[in-house]
Amino acid sequence: MNLLLILQMSSGQPDASNSSFIFFGCILFAIALFVYIFSPSRVETSEEKSRLSFLYERKDQIYENLRDLNFEYKAGKLSDSDFNSMRDSMEQEAAAILAEIDRLEKLQNGLNPLRGSQNKGARA
Amino acid sequence: MKQTRYAIVRRVGLLLLAASSLALLMGAGESQEARVDYLGHQMMCVCGCNEILLECNHVGCTYSSREIDELKQMVAHGDSDKVIYAAFVKEYGPTVLAAPTTTGFNRVAWIMPFVVFGAGLAIVVFVVRTWKRRIAPRPVAGITEAPPEKLGEFRDRARKDTEL
Amino acid sequence: MPQIGSFTLLLALVLSAYAFLVGIIAIVRKDDRLGETARRAGIAVWIAVTASATALVISAFRNDFSLAYILEHSNRALPLPYKFAALWSGQEGSLLFWCWLLATYGFILRLRHKVDTRLVAHASVIMSGVQIFFLLLVNFAAHPFAMTVGAIPPDGNGLNPLLQYPEMVIHPPMLYLGYVGMTVPFAFALAALIMKYPGEKWIHITRRWTMVGWAFLTCGIFLGSYWAYKVLGWGGWWGWDPVENASLLPWLTGTAFLHSVMMQEKRGMMKTWNMWLIFSTFLLSILGTFLTRSGVVSSVHAFAQSGIGVWFVWFMAITFATCVFFYVKNKDHLRSEHQLESLISRESSFLFNNVLLLVSAFAVLWGTLFPVLSEWVQGHKITVGPPFFNKVNIPIALCLLLLTAVGPLLAWRRTSTESLKRNFLVPAILALLTAVVLAFGGMKPWADIANFYALVAISLSVLVAATVFSEFWRGGRVIARHNNTNVFAGMVQLTRRNTRRYGGYIVHIGVIIVIIGFAGSAFYQSKEKEMGFGDKMNIGPYTLVCRSYTQDDNPNYRSETAMLDIYKNGKKIDTMYPQRRVYKASEQPATIVANRSTIEEDLYLVYTGVNPDTGNPIIKAHLNPLVWWIWAGAHILVIGTIIALFPNMQASKQALTEKERARALAAAGRTGSTAGAD
Repeated sequence: MNLLLILQMSSGQPDASNSSFIFFGCILFAIALFVYIFSPSRVETSEEKSRLSFLYERKDQIYENLRDLNFEYKAGKLSDSDFNSMRDSMEQEAAAILAEIDRLEKLQNGLNPLRGSQNKGARA
Repeated sequence: MKQTRYAIVRRVGLLLLAASSLALLMGAGESQEARVDYLGHQMMCVCGCNEILLECNHVGCTYSSREIDELKQMVAHGDSDKVIYAAFVKEYGPTVLAAPTTTGFNRVAWIMPFVVFGAGLAIVVFVVRTWKRRIAPRPVAGITEAPPEKLGEFRDRARKDTEL
Repeated sequence: MPQIGSFTLLLALVLSAYAFLVGIIAIVRKDDRLGETARRAGIAVWIAVTASATALVISAFRNDFSLAYILEHSNRALPLPYKFAALWSGQEGSLLFWCWLLATYGFILRLRHKVDTRLVAHASVIMSGVQIFFLLLVNFAAHPFAMTVGAIPPDGNGLNPLLQYPEMVIHPPMLYLGYVGMTVPFAFALAALIMKYPGEKWIHITRRWTMVGWAFLTCGIFLGSYWAYKVLGWGGWWGWDPVENASLLPWLTGTAFLHSVMMQEKRGMMKTWNMWLIFSTFLLSILGTFLTRSGVVSSVHAFAQSGIGVWFVWFMAITFATCVFFYVKNKDHLRSEHQLESLISRESSFLFNNVLLLVSAFAVLWGTLFPVLSEWVQGHKITVGPPFFNKVNIPIALCLLLLTAVGPLLAWRRTSTESLKRNFLVPAILALLTAVVLAFGGMKPWADIANFYALVAISLSVLVAATVFSEFWRGGRVIARHNNTNVFAGMVQLTRRNTRRYGGYIVHIGVIIVIIGFAGSAFYQSKEKEMGFGDKMNIGPYTLVCRSYTQDDNPNYRSETAMLDIYKNGKKIDTMYPQRRVYKASEQPATIVANRSTIEEDLYLVYTGVNPDTGNPIIKAHLNPLVWWIWAGAHILVIGTIIALFPNMQASKQALTEKERARALAAAGRTGSTAGAD
């Protein structure tokens, strides 16, 4: 179909040699792109996200919220009672997630005793 | 208590009434020029430029100058706003008015945004109320409950980690 | 050139189709190698479209009038930058430009695929889908390389003189960057929904891309109104023209998204809502493109009526159906997990903010489309113009302004009245004082509703400024105490640590400065007078004296110019030259406004014509208070957005945990435990 279109267009042009030059240029251009597309040198493997990494994400979020809360309190934006009750509930959330992370990591280390030593350092 | 509040409301109301009647009185004395300016901003130039009548600045636009002349004449003649609008609609069609009228189907144009506004507010209030009634959920679904003394330990860690 | 352009355009379509179809197959089969070829095909699309766009620009430079598009939108005498701008000054070219920008965004996205390979693979397929639509348009409905029918004329018809201004060269690209930019967050959001993306990382990516699109859209809108102000010569900057409205719509929903997304990031709430906000933002930016292109609603901007409207309607319908389908299929994934604790909380302030922004967007859309509806119901068109939009939108905008002031002071979850009083008392007093001073200082809110609105707007702006300042001050003080520096260093540090929040506050400051500029329009004055030699006109504090008037004739246009001396307090301060031109090629007239802008007011002079009896020029003078503030505020707005786009500087403690986490994950990832994460 491409070819037909090009031929159609070039037939309308008086200068035939110029047209064929353009024609081959276009083909060359297309070939170059196809070579690029079909010769991937390195393929990035896509990984499913693990539950652990998800929990880390949640932990970070709650930590950030806690830091924000501390900051706002120090800046004088919150009353003591507001601050205490909110910190309480957020810390509870954080603790639940930390406990779950801990549990999963232990589970993993149990399954892979060889990696246990590596992970210990990471859990400081 | 209730009565004093009522009194305050009444007083504020009276004040507002006084202020608005004052504004009306001032309005009655306004010049013809001000009326032309006001009315000229409520109508369009019909040449196809889509500009407000008094803001059309097409060089040599025959429509806007004609419309403005007519408007000036009518104002000088002392015609009411209603009469002027009607005359313009009759001569140039309904698109000469810059905003929908408040009659017939055109009323819908004015009502809808406020209906949507009201509905939006109602929905927010409703949502807030249902969300308030929701039971506090767990931070992440499917967590195994840890023993409370252990949780205390983790809480301390969270506090230490997030101290400023 | 035309052959190369047509060929590469068709090639791009084929490649997009490949990226789309093979992308889907690769995702379904989880074939990474196949997926990589799809990604590369996406990159190749960019190369092909770039080649095509270049071909069009080169044709414009070479005055190749065998191309109908170049014939219509350029001429030999046109200066080079405007020839370049010919790429987006007509329908076919601007659609090609759309394609190119979309391909460019896709190119960047695909280069950065390591952010999250699977998510990007999904998003890339969606981008390809949109790309296919626009490539179909340029290939089969509005071909930019169509040949001129019949004999080729020696010169082109030239560019519309209204478009021959430097602002007009950058305004459309900015606006388009905004419109097209909204495709990226859309692609990410839909991708996350389709793949049931675990966790919230996608929302960070989406939010950043939305900010990029939003920033460009903001630039585009302000440049457009600047152009209208400087060029159209009616003394205003916003006419509620359908096309202006169309650009406002995605801006409003995008703004709503940028606010409510915080609810999702912080509290895991409003997932469904945010998803639909981003879907509607994308659909509205397509609608915007559609309104500009199809001429459905008559408008100054609209390109000639054309058949491409049907294509757009189908595309929007298909997109909408796709969104609904995946939403219904995967809506469980968007279940929100948190409760709301109080009506007086940051959360509920965001809810109200969203309602107001969306009602405003609805009012604008409603007003824009009502003429079409009226024609359908009543059988005749009516005009829905500035009086309607102002009456409906100003009260909404004022409510929003109030929320802008109150919102940041409310804590997440709940705020006790005590905390509220502590934060709110001083700003409230300041705002009230401002109102009183302005009311008795000559603003007379009782004289006119416009005055009343202006007074409220300025007082609320003071309220916003005060609360934003207190946020900076308090935060800066905490950091200053911590680091032993002064408060101002603390404020800088603060901004660097949380760019989004404090950048956001700077955006708010920009907004209130713009609003103060808008409020000034309540006190605008204008006068029109015939000005012979030595004639005087008084407007506000200025006295204009006509020194002379001249006529000129050059190959491009005929012109008439008045020369006016400007006096203020009896002292001559300036000379201004309002002009009127008639371009010879098109016989189209144009006004060249003379504008003298100061921080208090603009003196804006228009040469409206000549009195045929006396031969004297007629000058219209506008005194527009505070317009300067609009453009200044726009700059601050954009600067704030750029700050918000910078990544946060991490506190050292946090950075450490990041590193630890990476190590732990590296260890854990290899164990292959891929339990579903939500």
